[in-house]
Amino acid sequence: MKVEPDQKVRINVKVNGVLHEAEVEPRKLLVDFLRDDLGLTGTKVGCDTTTCGACTILLDGRSVKSCTLLAVQAHGREITTIEGLSSDSKLSPVQEAFKDNFALQCGFCTAGMIVQATFLLSQKKDMTEEEIRDSIHGNICRCTGYQNIVNAIMDASRRMKA
Amino acid sequence: MSYSGKSVKRLYDDKFVTGRSTYVDDLKINALYAAFVRSNYAHAVIKRVHKEDALKMSGVVTVYTGEELNRVIKEGIGPWTTYIDPRPWKIPKWRFAQGEVKYAGEPVAVVLATDKYRARDAAEAITVDYEPVDAVVSMEEAKKDKVLVHKELGTNYGYKNDFVAGNPEKALESADHRKKVEIGNRRLIPSPMEPRGIVASYDGSNLSVWYSTQIPHFARAEFSRIFGIPQSRIRVVMPDVGGGFGSKAHIIPEELAVIASSMMLGKPVRWTATRTEEMMATNSRHNVFRGEIGFNNDGTLVAINGTLEVELGAYLTYTEGIQPTIIPLMIPGPYRVRDLKIESRAIYTNTIPITMYRGASRPEATFIIERLMSTVADELKLDDVTVRERNLVREDQMPYTNPFGLKYDTGDYLTLLREGVKILEYNSMKEWARKEREKGKRVGVGLAYYLEICGFGPWEYAETRVTEDGGVIVAIGGTPHGQGTETAIAQLVADELQVPIERVKVIWGDSDAIPAGTGTYGSRTVSIAGSAAVTASRQVLEKMRRVAARAMKADVEEIEYKNGEFVHKREGKKMRWEEVSRLGYSGKEPGLSASVTLEGDVTFPYGIHMAIVEVDEYGMARVKEYRAYDDIGRVINPALAEGQIHGGGTQAVGQALYELAVINENGQLAVTYADYYVPTAVESPKFKSYFAEKYHPSPYLTKTKGVGEAALIVGPAVIVRALEDATGGKFDFTPVIPEEILKKMK
Ligand code: FES
Ligand code: FES
Repeated sequence: MKVEPDQKVRINVKVNGVLHEAEVEPRKLLVDFLRDDLGLTGTKVGCDTTTCGACTILLDGRSVKSCTLLAVQAHGREITTIEGLSSDSKLSPVQEAFKDNFALQCGFCTAGMIVQATFLLSQKKDMTEEEIRDSIHGNICRCTGYQNIVNAIMDASRRMKA
Repeated sequence: MSYSGKSVKRLYDDKFVTGRSTYVDDLKINALYAAFVRSNYAHAVIKRVHKEDALKMSGVVTVYTGEELNRVIKEGIGPWTTYIDPRPWKIPKWRFAQGEVKYAGEPVAVVLATDKYRARDAAEAITVDYEPVDAVVSMEEAKKDKVLVHKELGTNYGYKNDFVAGNPEKALESADHRKKVEIGNRRLIPSPMEPRGIVASYDGSNLSVWYSTQIPHFARAEFSRIFGIPQSRIRVVMPDVGGGFGSKAHIIPEELAVIASSMMLGKPVRWTATRTEEMMATNSRHNVFRGEIGFNNDGTLVAINGTLEVELGAYLTYTEGIQPTIIPLMIPGPYRVRDLKIESRAIYTNTIPITMYRGASRPEATFIIERLMSTVADELKLDDVTVRERNLVREDQMPYTNPFGLKYDTGDYLTLLREGVKILEYNSMKEWARKEREKGKRVGVGLAYYLEICGFGPWEYAETRVTEDGGVIVAIGGTPHGQGTETAIAQLVADELQVPIERVKVIWGDSDAIPAGTGTYGSRTVSIAGSAAVTASRQVLEKMRRVAARAMKADVEEIEYKNGEFVHKREGKKMRWEEVSRLGYSGKEPGLSASVTLEGDVTFPYGIHMAIVEVDEYGMARVKEYRAYDDIGRVINPALAEGQIHGGGTQAVGQALYELAVINENGQLAVTYADYYVPTAVESPKFKSYFAEKYHPSPYLTKTKGVGEAALIVGPAVIVRALEDATGGKFDFTPVIPEEILKKMK
């Protein structure tokens, strides 16, 4: 498809179970579409080099950095953001575990961390500490020193098995 | 019922784990977006800014340069006069660049547009004609005063002051040994995960600012001074703040431009820094100590004589004046050395302005004195513990006045050292590492000691309000932004009022809701804001006893309060907390609240930390474990306190080994976030954190001292010492990057 400058493209995306039809500029980043167009500000932007993982979401069930995809690339696909991981009355096991293990301080990395952890645990239930550390190395936290985050993910894995 | 001392869960985590947190960029405010045109030159005259193309672009509202902005930005950014005496300083006027740029990255123009893509496009479409002039981008060059950053100052030295105690020359002469030393930290970038941001809205009479800051009330005062608007007409709100580490306690020209634009256009304006911009908004550290020490055969350090140089960058930021004035005072640390001369110098360069960073002065001072202790140990072939044992201030000297007049309040440094060595298993780990090295591995164990000055005054504000339905709102002038101190303060207040903690809500960070405040920095919040909150709570309780007494027709002295009940001692009549709360809002003098402005002064926690470091064949070092034993006074919430050790310790890993803000020969920041190595989960160690059970209290009501900075204060010295053990090299500058390690390994 050829798009002229300033021309917008129509996309259909299902986000947290709700179908959205929208017109977007082809260059619009997915994270900006989620935050600015849909108002889903739970997903954060921490960098401009695909380094920090604050923007992590699930795209068709796989974790991706939404700052590094265009909104148009989400056309016809399903997205889950941090807002979609819990119903208002009930937190997910990962969310619970983050609270119980003091796995957050300023909270800015937390959405990305929880989404990434949710993805990891959907792939593999039993992970060693080293595996967990390896699998979250694309998510930077400046506050916690990671130990409590790693503990929370191990705790969540136990909760999901129980 | 007692909450204090327990790891009570953080009160407000739900919003963070569900994505309902609100940082400044999350605010849904209809505003224009700002984008900045920045200088590529470290020093240049601005000849012309070509706005025409940008102004023709769709969505672009206007473009401002310093000429327009500085009509509104009346005064310059200045130092934090609460902590910095401006008199000995040479201070250039710092507003939005006008006529000249002084560092690469300095904003030259601001574009205002209807969305951020258009704003950034337009910023790129603006060209600027510059006439480059000589720049001085290294501190060594700047010291020569050949090329001046600010001609009008006549020198690059912003500050010169000699801190002298005793007679260091004589002490050096009579010492058994003398040794030249050179120790320092290179420039780094604090990097909170949330880049800074601001939304300003001027409605013709009042200015509202939503601001990612640690100091909303000081910001209000500064905006008032700079823009000439009375404080009563300015509201500064700190939404959720994604980390600060001292780097969100200063104001930058970009933020002034946003406010000025809002005032000129009469519209809300917003700006959130990209990571690249955030990296230019705050650089920190960079200091060098060069001098000579004298020490005796038994390991006692008897003299320190040298020069401390601190880089300022192109301007004096709100916070950087602290470093050259506090580092010297803390160089003696917990040790008895009394003959010192520290010639403290602060130097302007054509580089990104420098600010304080977690620990602010104490990491620098601690790195210097701990490197000196290790130097003495190495020279005399003594071990690190013995040297410290021989130098620590003794318990019977407490309270101890250090050679520069700081009064160390409470502590037993020697006992803590000995206990720490045991608890952290220092000797056995040292032995283990030695054996591992014999097997060919490069592992090492190191320790260092620290004494910290924290809990800074001069005061903090708190109000406790009991609502009509018996709830409790605690409004504090402290500004937690991740530390979880709101939870600790709720614990203290719930204990004081003997009510369930669920009833207590802690609020902060809105200058209209909290009449006064200083903020959260310098590991002070639980001690000073907590003590203020406890004091205010006591006063409210007194008021409630009066209300109960009136209702039960008794004297106040006859009313006893316990666990939610006001009891008439003589008659046995009772009133419940809720009844008294309701009554408190009827009759004359309605309302149940008390505010205090609590004055306070510094306190001195201390501790010993240890690290295990492993180095691979490429010189890549990893901190495998980090252990800490601290006397931080009374511990209100152990899990929160440990969290501070973990976070500070991880930043120490970064400072010691990875984080280097490279400035190239043109004065440009030559790293991106992708190659500026903030530690990830892979590089961060396993932590063990212990707090002294028999703690030494501070004079604060809470008996707490402070823990927010401890691990970054001592950590770099700890890790560097372990690295030396692992490699056999000697390292006196942070970060010790792989190239340098590799050189020493061969
Ligand atoms: S914002 Fe996407 S990786 Fe940093
Ligand atoms: S909690 Fe602050 S960045 Fe992770």
